[in-house]
Amino acid sequence: MNRKNAPKTHKTGAISFVSPEKIPLNESVPLYWMSDIANETSRIDIYFDAGLRKGKNSIASTTSSLLLSGTSLKSSTEIHNQLNDLGAFFDIGLSHEGVMVSLFALKRNISEAYEVLLDAIINARFPESEFQEVKAEKIQKFKINMNRVGVLAQRAFQKQLYYGTKYAEVSNEIDLQKVERKELLKFHEENYICGLFKIAVVGALAEGQIQHIINISKGLCIKNPLEFKSDFCNKPGAIHIEKNDAVQTAIRIGKTLFNKTNKDFLDMSILNTILGDYFGSRLMKNIREDKGYTYGIGSIISESGGSGYLLVGSEVGKEHLQAALDEVKKEMFRLCNEKIKKKELDLVKNHLLGQMLKISDGPYAMMDLFLSVESYGMSSDFYNLYIQRIHDIDASAILRIANAHLNWSDMSVISAG
Amino acid sequence: MIEFERYTLKNGLKVLLHHDKTTPMVVVNTLYDVGARDELEDKTGFAHLFEHLMFGGSLHVKDFDQELQKAGGESNAFTSNDITNYYEIIPAINIETALWLESDRMLSLAFTDKSLEVQRSVVIEEFKQRYLNQPYGDVWLELRPLAYLKHPYRWATIGKDISHIEEAEMSDVKKFFKKFYCPSNAILCVSGNFDSGTIKDLIEKYYGTIPGGKKPARLLPMEPTQEEFREKSIQRDVSADAFYYAFHMSERKNIGYYIADLLSDAIGKDQSSLLNIALKKEQTLVSEINAFITGSLDHGLFLITGKLLEGVDFATLDNALWRELEKIKVEGFTDRKLNSLKNKLSTAKAFQEQGLLNKSISLCMFELLGDANGINEEIQIYNGIENTDVLNFANSILKRENCSLLKINKTK
Repeated sequence: MNRKNAPKTHKTGAISFVSPEKIPLNESVPLYWMSDIANETSRIDIYFDAGLRKGKNSIASTTSSLLLSGTSLKSSTEIHNQLNDLGAFFDIGLSHEGVMVSLFALKRNISEAYEVLLDAIINARFPESEFQEVKAEKIQKFKINMNRVGVLAQRAFQKQLYYGTKYAEVSNEIDLQKVERKELLKFHEENYICGLFKIAVVGALAEGQIQHIINISKGLCIKNPLEFKSDFCNKPGAIHIEKNDAVQTAIRIGKTLFNKTNKDFLDMSILNTILGDYFGSRLMKNIREDKGYTYGIGSIISESGGSGYLLVGSEVGKEHLQAALDEVKKEMFRLCNEKIKKKELDLVKNHLLGQMLKISDGPYAMMDLFLSVESYGMSSDFYNLYIQRIHDIDASAILRIANAHLNWSDMSVISAG
Repeated sequence: MIEFERYTLKNGLKVLLHHDKTTPMVVVNTLYDVGARDELEDKTGFAHLFEHLMFGGSLHVKDFDQELQKAGGESNAFTSNDITNYYEIIPAINIETALWLESDRMLSLAFTDKSLEVQRSVVIEEFKQRYLNQPYGDVWLELRPLAYLKHPYRWATIGKDISHIEEAEMSDVKKFFKKFYCPSNAILCVSGNFDSGTIKDLIEKYYGTIPGGKKPARLLPMEPTQEEFREKSIQRDVSADAFYYAFHMSERKNIGYYIADLLSDAIGKDQSSLLNIALKKEQTLVSEINAFITGSLDHGLFLITGKLLEGVDFATLDNALWRELEKIKVEGFTDRKLNSLKNKLSTAKAFQEQGLLNKSISLCMFELLGDANGINEEIQIYNGIENTDVLNFANSILKRENCSLLKINKTK
């Protein structure tokens, strides 16, 4: 064997994307069920139209933190104890465009755990003591976080990215202090009761269990289809936030893009990988692996309901700030002006195809892939198109998409440190 | 139940195979029996710096990551006080690429000056990002030398001080490699959808000819039994006072480890844990309180940490905390609490067993402890724990003379 010769590599085979079964709760609210799973685990996600966009950030976020804070019959501790008895875990996620509550349990316990969870959410009374406890915790966390350069930069970025819209709002200490219990009760009444817009179940449950989930959830269904704001436009330009004692500076660079329904999405997604979304990306190779300015740098494209954005993020040594910004700018410029070499493009293609295989491994992964296109009214066929586009895309297409979306003068450039 | 096959190559490399035909991927996981505890006192942070250098090219391969990415794979690694672990996740059809790359860097690194120079900077930035530029970031740099006086757990994996990393030289790198990076000091686990008929031949092809080396002897100083309460108080530019109580506990192999794991969950994992109810909800002294264990292979730490609410002082918290601990030492848990902890563990275990990478790392860890099948026996050990075990454990560990307390005072 000659160790210098790399073993022959093979193209990954076709992936069969499995969609969950769709069972309607009413004309606008679906339950998705992925039932083909060969073990005892199960997960239920429920989605409420109770995100940050529905009210003041501080109110939406305090309400979501207190969803399991107690009902008129049960204390918060009793609710948590009942879930623990069933070996169940839960997680609550809040974004601009919704609240997702996820429940994890063995399938024999999940129906009962779901009853406990749903009862707690529906009948939440936000007891005064629990409310004061969470409020104090949130205020303290806020103060601690305001000492993190990453948080300072991210807040400033959000203001520029969503400039002039509700999405640009960030909470301050005074907002958190001002929240009143009656505001939570009102927010809960308006956005959770009649705010359910989707349920997703993974697990080899019995048909009867699914029917039971539907029966006890039905009353919460939202009345009208969701509509999301789509006309965002970031405010370009540089902002620096000085923090004297910092030894690193956080960088956030980005601009408004679009979501998966846009014709440029697939190409932009591949371009983003080249720029900063894998270990061998241009940004990592240059700014970490060649210059050593940072522990890590990356770029992502992210989507909100009606829109999306590009974000480059890093924390660099304070003395390297200008050099790092120059290099990011240079890498964007190169992508707009030099055709990518075949060797690099082929590598990115292979990497992406391998990633596709990895992120579609197993029923939970398949459900998550499905959910991330379903919100845009698309089917899992999106991924077949994506794989086809990975095979087909060429250097000219990369150059074209870079020129359309990677102009430095369009970027909001934030630094904090 | 996780099925696996185990054998040893002639050069001493331990191999574990776990076949899972439900996935299109394979994971190649390599655990080296070396961590920060094996470092010299004046060259700390080295095991971790070395982990970075393992990606800087090997004897026959210039660019590790690039070759792996070409084959659709990805890779990462981590270093702890006990071990250094590397893995590749790759489409099963390209398994050979992962074996080629991982075996070549076990054979020898390229040792380029550029790689050392750049990774020194990268690790220094990591030091800043994780430990210096975060509120409470340097807690472990302060707490370890307070709790440990002799054992090398007294420094963190990142190192005692940035200067140790700045001063690392190529000769140190080469010595380190020669001593610790050889088949006889490693465990390889290949899991996923490999071809059962050819996998052993492939492993033999890539690893069989690597000189076995000698497994280094480990003679670490024992931490003497703590006999007095220790306390350290420091001031930092943070907005809340914070406390870290650290108690010495048993090593990983001891039943005490499992009891400590359950006990820490019971008193400080979530909102219904005992200390959360008593100190946060009822007495409103803290904004958060947590209990957890370090999970170390040698004698580890059982920690209770949290942050004081505005206007509460350390002495009030201290009194209240010890009152609660004394209660636990008399009452232990209710049956309901003990059962719910075991039920949660069963759920967590079932979810973990779905992750190929998770399984691979666990198999290697258990093999390092003596038997990879420990992965299948763990849950019975937890299920066998009774209230009397908890009481005995709490009474032997949660004592003032076995405790070190670090207090972080906010800037006024």
